[in-house]
Amino acid sequence: MNRRSVLRTAGVLGVSSLAGCSGLFETRTMARAPPLVKNRPDAVYIPTHKEGMEMAGMAKQGRYRLALFYSYPHRFWLMGGGTAKQEKKVTIKDADDLHLMASVWDSKTKTVLPTGNVQAELSNGDWSDRRSLWPMLSQNMGFHFGDNIGLNGEGKYTAKIRVSGLDVRRTGALAGQFGDGATLTTEFEFDTDTVEQISYEKLDGRKGQKDAIQPMEMNMPMSHVPQKSDLPGRLVGEESSGDAKFPVTAVENSDFAEDTYLLVSPRTPYRRYPIPNMSLSATLKRDGEAVFDDALNATLDPDVGLHYGANVPSVRTGDELTVRVDSPPIVSRHEGYETAFLKMPKMQFSV
Amino acid sequence: MSESTRGIPRREFMKAAVAIGGSAALSACLDRGGMPDVPKGPSDLSTLPERQHAWNRFLATDDHGNNVAARHKILLFLNYRGDGTPTDAERETVERSLRSLERAYKRGHDGLLFSIGYSPSYFERFGATDVLPKPKALASFEDPKLDEQDAVVQLESDHPQLVLAAEEALLGNRDELNGVDVSGVTDVFEKADRRTGFVGDGLPADHQDVNGIPDSNPVPEDAPLYMGFKSGFKKNQASEDRITIQDGPFAGGTTQHISNIELHLDQWYEQDSRDQRVGKMFCPVHAEEGKVEGVGNNLGDSSEMTDECIDHVEDHARERGMVGHSQKAAGARKDDSPVILRRDFDSTDGGKAGLHFVAFQRTIEDFESTRTAMNGDDLAGNSSVGQRLNNGILQYMTVTRRGNFLVPPRSLRSLPTPNPT
Repeated sequence: MNRRSVLRTAGVLGVSSLAGCSGLFETRTMARAPPLVKNRPDAVYIPTHKEGMEMAGMAKQGRYRLALFYSYPHRFWLMGGGTAKQEKKVTIKDADDLHLMASVWDSKTKTVLPTGNVQAELSNGDWSDRRSLWPMLSQNMGFHFGDNIGLNGEGKYTAKIRVSGLDVRRTGALAGQFGDGATLTTEFEFDTDTVEQISYEKLDGRKGQKDAIQPMEMNMPMSHVPQKSDLPGRLVGEESSGDAKFPVTAVENSDFAEDTYLLVSPRTPYRRYPIPNMSLSATLKRDGEAVFDDALNATLDPDVGLHYGANVPSVRTGDELTVRVDSPPIVSRHEGYETAFLKMPKMQFSV
Repeated sequence: MSESTRGIPRREFMKAAVAIGGSAALSACLDRGGMPDVPKGPSDLSTLPERQHAWNRFLATDDHGNNVAARHKILLFLNYRGDGTPTDAERETVERSLRSLERAYKRGHDGLLFSIGYSPSYFERFGATDVLPKPKALASFEDPKLDEQDAVVQLESDHPQLVLAAEEALLGNRDELNGVDVSGVTDVFEKADRRTGFVGDGLPADHQDVNGIPDSNPVPEDAPLYMGFKSGFKKNQASEDRITIQDGPFAGGTTQHISNIELHLDQWYEQDSRDQRVGKMFCPVHAEEGKVEGVGNNLGDSSEMTDECIDHVEDHARERGMVGHSQKAAGARKDDSPVILRRDFDSTDGGKAGLHFVAFQRTIEDFESTRTAMNGDDLAGNSSVGQRLNNGILQYMTVTRRGNFLVPPRSLRSLPTPNPT
C-alpha cells in the first residue's frame, strides 16, 4: 500500500486508525529551515543553521564499510548542467520525513569513497522505496550520498544499500579494489520524537559570513584531503577558483605516472573536503610550446584522496601551467556550498 | 467484482483487469463492457507474414508517421512440462493453439498481435548452447534476476478484454473466441509468470497511484509513458528488416530482450527541473534550445539527435556535466541506423511503477551494445557525470530482471529444434 492509499483508508476509517502513521499528520513544531541568508556571497559561507544527525546503522562487506544517518529534511541544490542556469534548489516537501545520508569507506585505508553510485532501498512491511542517492557536499559531514525521503510512518525499516563498483581510477592500496559493488543491509527505527530531538542550532550571529561550520564529530573516517604541505611531490603553487582551492604538485618517480605526475587536488576552503564530479584539464607550456594539453583524470588514492592528475613529460622552472575547470562540480550541495564552485575561471601557475 | 468496482472509471478498471488476469477478471471485463466487435482473422493463414515480429504494418500511425503501439500488453512466460525434448505431437498442439488465435481475431492493434519466443535454456534441452546468449547483468550497478523460462508469449491489443481472452484461450480456459473454436497450450506448457502493462497517451497518467511516483500526480495527462515523454520515434527505431535474422536456421526470425525496470520518479518529478528532465532524456542541447514542447509531439518523427548531440557526447559530459539518454543510445547505431526496435511499455505490476523494456534486434549483441552505450561507462570515468548522476536517465531506474529469447519465423514458431530444416 502506498502513502496515498494509507491516507485514503485513514480518511475512511477515521482518526483512530492513525496509529502507525502519526508522522504523516503531526504538525511540526520545529521550523524546517529558516529563510536563506540575504545577499549570499559567491563563496562558501556559514549557513542559517546547523543540524545534528542520528546514526541509523552500520554494515560491512569485504572492504566496504557503510554508515547510515538521518536528520531533518534539508533544502539542497542539484547541479543540472546543460542549461545556462545550472543549479536547481530542492525544497523540503510535506511528504519528506527525513534526510537520509550514507557514507562509504574502505576498511583497510579508511578512505571515504567519494565517487560511484549508492542506491538505497528502504522497506517497512509491504511498503518500499528505492532511489539513487545524490552525491553531496555538506559542511558538517563532508562528502556523502543523501536525499530527502518520505517514509511509511513510524516503525522499523530495513535499508538495503547497493554500492556500485567504482569506475574512477584507483591507485596505491586501492588499486584493483572496489571494481565490484556490494549490497549492505542495516535496520533502523524511525519515530518522530527521535527526529525532533536531533540538535538544531540557528547561527543567527554568523550566518552569511565567508567561513564554514565545524564538521560533526564522528567516530568514522571523514573525506578530508591532505594539507597542501602533505601532498606528495614538489608544490607548484596553489590558486583559487570559485572559492575552491587548487594546490598543484609535480610528483616524480612515483607509481602515479610514467614520467612526472601533475597532481591537482581541489578542495573546499576551510574544511579540505575533496570536490568530485568535476572536469579539469591543463596546459603546460615551456618556452611558449605546449608540452602537455589534455584532460586531468579523476583518481582516488588512499594517501592523496580524490584528486585529478595526468602524466606530463616533466615540470621545470620557468614553465607556465594553466588549469581549466571544464565544468564545475555537479556534486549536489547543502546550504553554505551552493553559491560556491559555480563560476570557476581558469588558473595560471608560474613554475 | 463488478459490484465493488462500480465507481472506478472504465479505463482504469480495464487496465486493472489486465493486471489481475484470469477468467474472473475477464468475465468482470465482459460484464462491464462486453467484447469488442473485432473481425475474425483470415481463413487462409498463409496470407499472414512469415515474420512473427512484422507488426508495424498492422499498427496505427500518428500524424508524423510514427507507429503507435497497441495499448494493452501481456507477457506470458511458459515452462515446458516435459523432461526431455518436445515431441511432434506437442509441436502440433502448440501450433494448433496459435493458429486458433490467428483465426479468432484479425491481426492488428485493434485486433490481436502476438509472438512466441524461446530462451537459451529451452535450446539447452537439445544440447545446443550457441543459439543465443544467456541473459546477464549489463551494467556495473545492476544485479538483475535472470529469466530462464522456456518460452514467452507477448500479447497485445488496444482492447484489454481481448488480450485477456487470448491469454485465457492459451491457458486452456476458453474453447471459443469470437465465434471460433480455440485450444490452449497447457498440455505442453505450464504458466511460469505473467507481466502486464500499457502504453499510450493518457494511460500512464491514469495509473500513477503506485509506488515509485510521487503523490502529486506529476505524469502529464497526454504522456504515453511514465517519464512524461514520447519515445519510439520512427527514425529512432530499427526497421523490421534491420532486426530480422538474415542467415542460418532461423532466418526470418529475430531476437527479443525483455527486462523489467523499476522506475523511481520522486527525484525526476519533484527535484529535477523541466530543463533537467529534457536534457537527461534527450540531449542538453534540447534543453538549452527549448526543442521539446510538452511530451515531445512537436519533434515529429525523430528525437532530433543531430550531430550536435551525437558527436558531442564526450564534450557534453566534460563541459556541461550532463548527457542525454537518447544522445547516448544514438551512439549504438550501425550504418546510421538504430539497431533495436523498442516495443516497451509501462506497468504497475507489484504495485510499483515500472517499465517492461521489450526490444527486438537481429542479435542479442545488438541489444547489449545499445545498453553499453546507454551506460556511458566511458564517460563516467573521466568527466563530471557520474555512473548514474546526470548520465541520461540511469539515476531513476533499476533493472530487476533480464531475459533473452529467440523469436523464430512463423513456420518454426512451435517448439523449434536448434537446427530445423
